[in-house]
Amino acid sequence: MWTFILRRLVVMFVALVLVSVLAFLIPYMSGPEPTEMIIHSRVANLAIDQDTIDKMRIHLGLNRPLAIQYLDWLGDAIQGDFGFSFADRESVSVHIRTSIMVSITLALSALGLALVVALPLGAVAALKPGRRIDTFITFLTQSLVAIPEYWVAPFATLVFSVSLGWLPSAGWRGPEYVVLPALALALRPMAYFTRVTRAAMIDVLEAPYITAALSRGLGIGRTILRHGIRNAMPPVITLFAMWLAGLIGGAVVIEVIFSIPGMGRLLYEAVVNKDIPMIQGAIVCLVSFAILMSTLTDLMYVALNPTVGITDASA
Amino acid sequence: MPRLDPSVVGRSSRLRARGAETIGRALHIIRTRHGSFTVGGGIFLAIVSALILSPWLSPYDPNAQELLQRLSSPSTQHWLGTDQFGRDVLSRLLIGGRFSVTVAAATIALSVIFGTILGVLCARAGGMVDEVTMRIVDLLIAFPDVLVALFLIALIGPGHVALIAALTVVGWTPFARMARSLALEINAKDYIMAAEVLGCSRSFIIFRHVIPNAYRPIAAITFLRFGHKLITVGALSFLGLGVQPPNSDWGAMLADALRFVERAPLLAFSPGFAIFITALAVTLIGQGLEAEVKPRKDQRESILGTESPSEGEETMKA
Repeated sequence: MWTFILRRLVVMFVALVLVSVLAFLIPYMSGPEPTEMIIHSRVANLAIDQDTIDKMRIHLGLNRPLAIQYLDWLGDAIQGDFGFSFADRESVSVHIRTSIMVSITLALSALGLALVVALPLGAVAALKPGRRIDTFITFLTQSLVAIPEYWVAPFATLVFSVSLGWLPSAGWRGPEYVVLPALALALRPMAYFTRVTRAAMIDVLEAPYITAALSRGLGIGRTILRHGIRNAMPPVITLFAMWLAGLIGGAVVIEVIFSIPGMGRLLYEAVVNKDIPMIQGAIVCLVSFAILMSTLTDLMYVALNPTVGITDASA
Repeated sequence: MPRLDPSVVGRSSRLRARGAETIGRALHIIRTRHGSFTVGGGIFLAIVSALILSPWLSPYDPNAQELLQRLSSPSTQHWLGTDQFGRDVLSRLLIGGRFSVTVAAATIALSVIFGTILGVLCARAGGMVDEVTMRIVDLLIAFPDVLVALFLIALIGPGHVALIAALTVVGWTPFARMARSLALEINAKDYIMAAEVLGCSRSFIIFRHVIPNAYRPIAAITFLRFGHKLITVGALSFLGLGVQPPNSDWGAMLADALRFVERAPLLAFSPGFAIFITALAVTLIGQGLEAEVKPRKDQRESILGTESPSEGEETMKA
């Protein structure tokens, strides 16, 4: 078990180093030479002679060996300093800090909503596998998986904000602004949560302790709440963690449609504007977050079930 | 109190019961393995042949503008209406779909080939190769593919090459994991040992015995992932980072149409619906295939559901 944990941590460390190297190399692999790019970001498209560029390169320390520059950059990055955005001269880390909170709020609301619908649906389907209600729920989840969220969102806006005027159509100024984007984002995770809940519940309901609970005279509703749902939770939680990592930064389209200042839109706009420091900062943060989440999920699994490490090591 | 004619009441409730039964039966056909495969396969085949035959099927030149007919609603001339330049929507959908489906299919094909070969190699080689590859899979399997796509686009610029590359970078992992576990299972079979005793080479065994025996479950994930890729490709084109103008695909058409969504809702509805119905069709095919693979699990479990998370992860991940 300890070797498994250690191995997992080593992998995480190597991956983080790799990502940081890649992010560091972005300015060298794309577009014009970095010094010119920095100068142009400050003085727009004025013509600049070679002499100035050379002076600037020495001034910025870009004439040093790449490895030294990388360590320098990494040292700053670890302390949360990714430099300043080309677009508005603001600190990248300040941008990221505000955006990541927005993204976390959005992702948690969407996944919460998805769970609230999915757990009862999955439980109902599991109670009558193969029956009409189960068939219907299965078909529903199949359809939900295939719905592009950027297709549903505009029409939901059309109905709920333009026609009915119940909810705001775009922006991020209060709790009512979360509803429509969270709804659009919730559809696909909802389908997956329902499926997993159903499968896990069917397994759990066959367990002897459920029969025991029922034969003790505990009502079916209570049995499901107290024994069924609770024991069906572990796979749902894993899925939840995976989706959380996916939605923070992966909700680009929805954030763009609803003008939500989250991580996805931050990265998207940085890519469109070729705002290199911002791209580096956002990529490093988001990818590190995804790596951390997947490591944490794996470690949680070991903590809950010590045999995992053993089978994994032998397989 | 008005008296109800019992025969009328009986008839209406009978009718209703029969209606419910028909719907129930229709849903059940989709649910059963062959039904799901047939319905999905039928829709998918129809869509693909329409896309292939689009140069002959399209009623109009997709780029021909009829400025007097802008944003017109469906009519006998233009079945799905026209867009903001008076171009025929149906013709544009047929041409645009070629990009969407081709890019998604190319991504999936590359992922399957790369993932399967790597997975089988891992199973045969074992040791460090296996260890390193599987740890990479562990990490990549939870990655949002839009994120990787944005990263690559930042490096090499937008376009379908960046798109295919990015989606393949994240896309191969479920195939590698599945192929590896299948190959481990198959490697333990007697006929593999027989082949080894006969002196067959390693690559001969892999291509002659292992891959042919592993293809069904892999085909199932292939179709399930296809739908997901289709939606992601649409998302990136929607953002203007996929297929570049003057070409257009379903995602880009949807984004263009949104400016006119209040005047011409159908214009925005149809490309999104095209993505939806294609994704649904391949999902149904995938579930049909998956049910074929493990028939007993058909009632209890489908591809998305899973008993042990490590086993089902590849498919439940979005």
